[in-house]
Amino acid sequence: MIAPPRLSTILLAATTVLVAVLLYSPLFVPIVSSFFPVARGEVDWSSPTVETYVALAGNDEILSALRTTLVVGFCTVVLSVVGGTLLALYYHGRRAGRSALQFIIFLPFLMPPIISGLALLIFFREIGLERSLLTVVIGHTAFVLAIVYRTVLTRLQSMSRTLVEASYDLGATKWQTFWRIILPNLSSAMVGGAILAFALSFDETMITILVTGTQTTLPVRLWAMMRLGFSPDINALVALILMFTVLLCALAARFLVPRQIATQRA
Amino acid sequence: MNQTSDLLTLRSVSKSYGTVPVLHGVDLSIRDGEFLTVLGPSGSGKTTVLRLIGGLEPLTAGEIRLDGQDISGMPINRRPFNTVFQDYALFPHLTVAGNVGYGLSVRHVPRKEIARRVAQALELVQLGRFAGRFPAQLSGGQRQRVALARALICQPRLVLLDEPLAALDLELRRQMQEFLKSIQREVKTTFLFVTHDQEEAIGMADRICVMQAGHIRQLGSPHELYYRPNCEFVARFFGENNLVAGSLGETRGEFRAIETALGRLVCSVAGQPHLKAAATGARGFATFRPEALRLAGDGDAENRLSGAVADVAFAGSSTVVTITAGGDAAQRLRLRFPSRVEGSALRAGETVALSFAPHEGHLVLA
Amino acid sequence: MSSSGLARPAAIRWSPLVTVLAFALPVMFVLAPLAIFLVYSFFSVDQGQIVYAPTLANYVRFFTDPVFLPVFWRTIVLCLSVAAISILLAYPAAYFLTTLRGRWRYALLMLLMVPLLMSYVIKIYAIRSILGLNGFLNKALVGLGILSEPSTLFVFNMNAILLTLTLLLIPFAILPIFLALERIPQVLLRASDDLGASSLQTFLRITLPLSLPGVASAASFVFVLAIGDFLTPQMVGGISGFTFGRILYSQFGTAYNWPFGAALSVALAVVVIVAILLGERFGRNRGASL
Repeated sequence: MIAPPRLSTILLAATTVLVAVLLYSPLFVPIVSSFFPVARGEVDWSSPTVETYVALAGNDEILSALRTTLVVGFCTVVLSVVGGTLLALYYHGRRAGRSALQFIIFLPFLMPPIISGLALLIFFREIGLERSLLTVVIGHTAFVLAIVYRTVLTRLQSMSRTLVEASYDLGATKWQTFWRIILPNLSSAMVGGAILAFALSFDETMITILVTGTQTTLPVRLWAMMRLGFSPDINALVALILMFTVLLCALAARFLVPRQIATQRA
Repeated sequence: MNQTSDLLTLRSVSKSYGTVPVLHGVDLSIRDGEFLTVLGPSGSGKTTVLRLIGGLEPLTAGEIRLDGQDISGMPINRRPFNTVFQDYALFPHLTVAGNVGYGLSVRHVPRKEIARRVAQALELVQLGRFAGRFPAQLSGGQRQRVALARALICQPRLVLLDEPLAALDLELRRQMQEFLKSIQREVKTTFLFVTHDQEEAIGMADRICVMQAGHIRQLGSPHELYYRPNCEFVARFFGENNLVAGSLGETRGEFRAIETALGRLVCSVAGQPHLKAAATGARGFATFRPEALRLAGDGDAENRLSGAVADVAFAGSSTVVTITAGGDAAQRLRLRFPSRVEGSALRAGETVALSFAPHEGHLVLA
Repeated sequence: MSSSGLARPAAIRWSPLVTVLAFALPVMFVLAPLAIFLVYSFFSVDQGQIVYAPTLANYVRFFTDPVFLPVFWRTIVLCLSVAAISILLAYPAAYFLTTLRGRWRYALLMLLMVPLLMSYVIKIYAIRSILGLNGFLNKALVGLGILSEPSTLFVFNMNAILLTLTLLLIPFAILPIFLALERIPQVLLRASDDLGASSLQTFLRITLPLSLPGVASAASFVFVLAIGDFLTPQMVGGISGFTFGRILYSQFGTAYNWPFGAALSVALAVVVIVAILLGERFGRNRGASL
């Protein structure tokens, strides 16, 4: 892009800074409050503390919600990666029924979560399935399946068909070809899909609120607590989660990118 | 006729994709140990032949026999053939050694044995130092050699090469041609090489099979195809050639005349009974190579042609002169002779007399 | 050349069971719930019991009751405003990113996407505390002398919903606009400069038109995400900030009228589908062939 003259560059940069400030200000509120006491909207900068983090270790209600979220996230990732990959393999190179089924898979992702959530709520009631973590996992899986499916299918489509032919040509059986050629070439797409699926499941609130039972995930627990205002240790939790996710993304980027660059150079 | 035995035989093999036929009853015998090139323009069905033999596609009709046994229904992974793919199809997640050893590894050959044979195969293609690299870290020529080593390591009866040089630049392609030929001599394995490039075919093949529109037009040595094409397509497709249309005249011994717009031309029909037997008046062509054509001397009584020089093109070692003959702008003749330091005396627009020796002329039926 | 045509078993021979599963699971957990939901919108409720007899009463109520349609339109206008403000902020930022080189471009893009990783609920809470009476915004405005005393203008009303949704959804506007801008071939811009166009002319006549598909996608994204959200209005809307999402949600809580809620959802779905189709229609990159 050709550099515009100075004044417009400054205006553009200023707008970008403004946007960054707008986006980051809600992040700083909990992080700052996790280290400094806040009273009536005034931050007491004089007395930094890690007490909130200590208090967090003793907050069983929040920690158990966090555990539940991780369990739900894990189950969702396993189900959606296995299901999404199988569906992608199944529909790859197959015309019959593909676009219709693809449309169905994408519906929960495209529709507002309130519609997906309410539809599942009524569905579970009609089939007599008690609201529980199982229904939450089903809801989350329906929501993120499309992401994994799409990621894996895109990789499959970019994979040269001759790789599979070459494997058979060299004497491999269909299972050898699947495990030793197809799956390794899909693995980074599957990992990418899994990270996205986990991130979406971890923060999913709207569907979860509608289909959850008594035991519930962190965002829904936070939502319930929010009317009363948060105890400071929740700020500590949020700060920790944010740091953890940023770290995870940085790692994922580091782990996934080098091979792609190597391939592009060739 | 030949002493060597046939390795593989195709018998009236046909192939259609849906209702679109791409091969019409092809018969072909591949001899054990030869370098056979299948040559044809795109859409001629040459790649289909290779894919049918390799087992990548099922036959529509006919049969393929290996050592006399029908293998038409044999699954691809049990056929003792290996393919070098046009895009090489190297497995991007495996190292060079992993790629080359794959065929042994899926057959559960012991690790030590695999390592030994991989080292040997990489030595053969001069890539010993690259065993630990990934395909993305190799140049085009190196990938090509990895693909070759991978195809050779299982000691296949037949190596199928699907335009493997198409993606390389000209200089590298020449080197790889020589390299492939020398490897083939060394391992004494039968190579079936598919290409659309006739220079490539002449340079490497023991025999060439020319295909067009799903038919085999001619099968023979490069020399046969060059000097004794059996139809107009091969005569035109294979190298630069002169064709003059006419109707067949009388046969005299090993020669036969053809009456053309440029006059009566006499060509050799030695060893070609079908040309001797063809009816008088049948449509055909006299063909003669540009290097057979020369400026006519006083002693030349036969095959005299005259025309106007349209262009003189210096092409390094040789000079090519284009001539418009018989006052017909569409009837062009080409004359090729070794270049000389003093340059050609011919000038555009000049009228010249030409001729070729009857034994260097050849007839094809229209 | 299809792989199913190989002279051996196809890549993986799918048993009929797998075929049934591949069709059955999506149908069972996606299509069936949505279908039942649609059917529900034709039922009714009598004294807390759902009456399983088809009726159009819910739709009649939606169109005739003086409450619902105005809220419906107001919510659509609100979400269009959110989309418009998001784009006005996102476009210059995305454009600025494309003027940067190499790694800086993507580093800054990542930086603007990181806030998406933060818990949605916590962000709403944090924004509310910023907008509140004792919040940072009021402090800043009073400090700058724009307001004489803290105002309740920014919390528990429609403005609050508008501001909060915009802050939450800006990243969804940046990404498609950035991708559209990045796809514009450099050659075109250089050609335009060579032809003597000023930077502004180049922008207005080349860059802007070619980036409009990205803007359309951004608008569609933001609008759909905004209109489906019932948490934000619930949290920062107070009593006056009543949106369609809240009404819909209340049918499954306090109001307890699932069939009517289902009918409202159908109305919402229609709007969303229209928005997605428009985004799809105008989001196609016509510059792709260049």
